[in-house]
Amino acid sequence: MNDLEIFKKVMELKEREITVCLATIIETAGSTPRGTGAKMIICMDGTIYGSIGGGCGESQARSAALRCTLITQKPQILEIDLTDDLGTKGGDVCGGKLWVFIEPL
Amino acid sequence: MDIHVRIVELLKKEKTFCLATVLTSNISDVRPGQKAIVYDNAAIVGSLGSTQLDSDLAGLAQKAFKENKSQVAEIEAGVKFFLNILSPDAQLILCGAGHIAIPLARFAQPLKFRVVVIDDRPDFASPSRFPNCKIIAEDFTAALRDYHFSSNTYVVVITRGHEHDADCLIEILKKKTIYVGLIGSRRRVRFVLEMLAEKGYSQARINDVFTPIGLPIGAESPEEIALSIVSELVCVRRKGSVQARALRNAVGIDL
Repeated sequence: MNDLEIFKKVMELKEREITVCLATIIETAGSTPRGTGAKMIICMDGTIYGSIGGGCGESQARSAALRCTLITQKPQILEIDLTDDLGTKGGDVCGGKLWVFIEPL
Repeated sequence: MDIHVRIVELLKKEKTFCLATVLTSNISDVRPGQKAIVYDNAAIVGSLGSTQLDSDLAGLAQKAFKENKSQVAEIEAGVKFFLNILSPDAQLILCGAGHIAIPLARFAQPLKFRVVVIDDRPDFASPSRFPNCKIIAEDFTAALRDYHFSSNTYVVVITRGHEHDADCLIEILKKKTIYVGLIGSRRRVRFVLEMLAEKGYSQARINDVFTPIGLPIGAESPEEIALSIVSELVCVRRKGSVQARALRNAVGIDL
């Protein structure tokens, strides 16, 4: 999804009064699947639109977003580490790190 | 007005702007998640409530515009922003609907280029040859003159003759573009570039034209040439035109 599609979806979900969180990659270091500016919408029921790179990093962002929506109601910066050893089963092995800003909209 | 409405409007109008989001703040009136839009002329929608902060933000956004790079910036101690540069979708205009244009249009679409095909021959510029593309079967000069270019417009000039190439470039170089490429032999290209200089275009603007076109991968068939062109477009998108030129120069270009 490009930025226009993301923000149109945000408006559509808000019109339907669905609580949403936006996760945006604000900074990266080393190898990461997607770059700065990539966005993902997380709805309260766990539905996701867009992508910040897939894999376990994305599921960490999803959990943080649900916590943020349901409990804190405050934006947070989440650091996601993709530097697992290559042998790790289902690991995040890209080698980089990313910082994701998670905000309730 | 909800700022998201404004964001969608600007993206639909193919504007380039900076969406500034507060990440951290120790100022009571500036809260994390708060957003402002900064235009490339430094105007701000969604003031931070102080002229000093607004002007500092505009300054940092200008730097991000210049680098064409979204980034985190600290406006003052403890107050951090994410400056997200939002640009229109990449648009690829193909001047010339010949045998290279077909694979080029086909390869470019899944790479997220919106493809526009221009040719004055309706048999060539036809929807059956270019599915899912915008087709303009008109004279090159008129079509290009009337067409809206954005700062994210890529143009590939692959017409059937050097006179048409020249006609196209005369219009294209008047407009904003991120990439202009021209196909052709050394002789054909030299004719076109000399003609542009005679027309009064600056050498700097003429030098923006990537010619011969495409990354030097030794392409021969139309499909290979299309691949080399589309690789160059991706390189410009991801690494910038300076890097794309460096890559050409490092390998060397045969003519």
